[in-house]
Amino acid sequence: MSEARYRSLRELPGVHALAAGTAMCAGCGGLEALHEVLDVLGTRTVVINAAGCMTLLASYPFTPFHGSWLYTSMASAPAGAQGVRDALDLLRSRGRIGADDDLTAVVLSGDGSAYGMGLSATSAAIERGLDFIYLCYDNEGYGNTGQQTSAATPHGARTPTSPGPAGHAGEKKDLFDVWVAHRPRYAATVIGAEPLDLARKVQRAASLAGPRLILALAPCPTGWDYDPMHGVDIGRLAVRTGIWPLKEYVDGAVVHTHVPHPRLPVEAYLSTQGRFRHLFEPLRNDALIGEIQQRVDRYWQNVG
Amino acid sequence: MYRIRFHGRGGQGIRTAASVLGSALFASGREVQDAPRYGAERRGAPMSAHVRAGRSVIVERGAIAQPDLVVVADPTLLAGGVLQGLSAQSVLFLNGSEPADELRTRLACPGRVVTWPGAARELEETTGVAIGALCAGGAARLLGVISRTTLEQALLAEIAGHGSGAAEAGRALGLAGFDALADSAGMVGEGVDDPGAGDAPPDWVRLALDDASLAAPDVFREATSELVQTGLWRTSRPVIDAALCSRCSWVCTTLCPDSAIHAKAGEVPQIDYEHCKGCLVCVLACPPHAIRALPERQPATAGNPR
Repeated sequence: MSEARYRSLRELPGVHALAAGTAMCAGCGGLEALHEVLDVLGTRTVVINAAGCMTLLASYPFTPFHGSWLYTSMASAPAGAQGVRDALDLLRSRGRIGADDDLTAVVLSGDGSAYGMGLSATSAAIERGLDFIYLCYDNEGYGNTGQQTSAATPHGARTPTSPGPAGHAGEKKDLFDVWVAHRPRYAATVIGAEPLDLARKVQRAASLAGPRLILALAPCPTGWDYDPMHGVDIGRLAVRTGIWPLKEYVDGAVVHTHVPHPRLPVEAYLSTQGRFRHLFEPLRNDALIGEIQQRVDRYWQNVG
Repeated sequence: MYRIRFHGRGGQGIRTAASVLGSALFASGREVQDAPRYGAERRGAPMSAHVRAGRSVIVERGAIAQPDLVVVADPTLLAGGVLQGLSAQSVLFLNGSEPADELRTRLACPGRVVTWPGAARELEETTGVAIGALCAGGAARLLGVISRTTLEQALLAEIAGHGSGAAEAGRALGLAGFDALADSAGMVGEGVDDPGAGDAPPDWVRLALDDASLAAPDVFREATSELVQTGLWRTSRPVIDAALCSRCSWVCTTLCPDSAIHAKAGEVPQIDYEHCKGCLVCVLACPPHAIRALPERQPATAGNPR
């Protein structure tokens, strides 16, 4: 590719585009991903925030943003982005702002909205070819209200709404594939714990126009039940066990940007979090651990 | 305000009739509402269309419950709820030729009834979509506030989309309906604009609405969250040992979720203790283990150790 590209971690910004002092939990993996993304995108953005944990980011009179922020209901962030984009286009076409004053519309939503309530509006926005970036911080549950299961909750995880010995019976929806099925301009999975991979993908997304997805797995100390200091380790384990594949879709092809080798057993990841503790205590549930391992194995078998 | 309710069947042009009447009223200087209402949206299914025409902005919404004029496209519809809301002041106009007095008695209709007079009885033989134009013409005459020319223009404009043949046929039938009811011109009276105006106000507490700038205020300054001292949340404090720090300039500052560590190339990073929440991600992430966690005892705003 021809666009500018971060060559090493040392090139990542040391001064950040997102200010401190937000009300997000200490150790929030979503906030980590958000500031890494904004560090690359810069401050010439309008963040369109679907209701979720990050509702708390900007609560009057405090905002961590240098750019603008617009709040929408869970289902309608892409519609908000359409309005912002249209308004900017009108200002451009009437000569009220120049190309240098243009802004990037960035939807910011949690998994509750991205995988569920907001999916219809998202699908329609991609269909219309809306020029926007969709950043989802996926902490695999309705974190802001107590980590009830969402469409992104992984199989077997224990949540307040899946309290049984087997945890969540459903499957984590594959939002990346849902996006890819729409043939968007760009889609990528990222994680805050792998900042160079993330920065390169955001860089690439920023160089393109049209509907673009940045899907960030967001380790959540509160919802996943672990000591916040382990957030980065857990993120890296999600990648090294193959549970969270790092990949991108561009020009019609999916490419894995990192293939874990050797791939660690899933229990290295599962055992770090209270939401999977029932797989190990009081009795080890080999059947369910094996089932989760099998799903991951099957995924990687199909990766060319 | 005039409130006119049309009743017909899918395929009789009644939606168009309401549009013709609405357009003609609008062209005559009225504010107008015009909306069809379908049950099953298919040919032959009973439907209604509702037209309001006032002298000022219309705030009333929905189906018309107390019509000044009810227009019925054919006699088979009389079995339904078409008489609903008719009063002694209102008018029922049926596209038929049964003598009006007989019909009024038979239906026990409280208001006045109009059908085609004997000289124009052949009009009831009209079929299909053209019935709408006919009814619109008749209704326009009964209101008495629409001129023949205005009606003609409205007929042509609203039916044009169905082709020039249909528009011409509609124009002829609409005007025939208008002419046939010359003796009843203006017999429909205008209802009051706000029938509930004189009612006693309900027994509830009215709450004033806040101005939008107060209810959903904007923040115009950047990065004001820095005024919030989230450092007060901390129970443990990360401390960088300058002797061990490799000055990599990126690991702790990038991975800190809160943008609370600032780094410059070649220098020991500075931890912003006013905002560091003490998650200690940096302690585990630092490759040379140059960051230690100490119990939080000092004031939250104390500076970096030298």
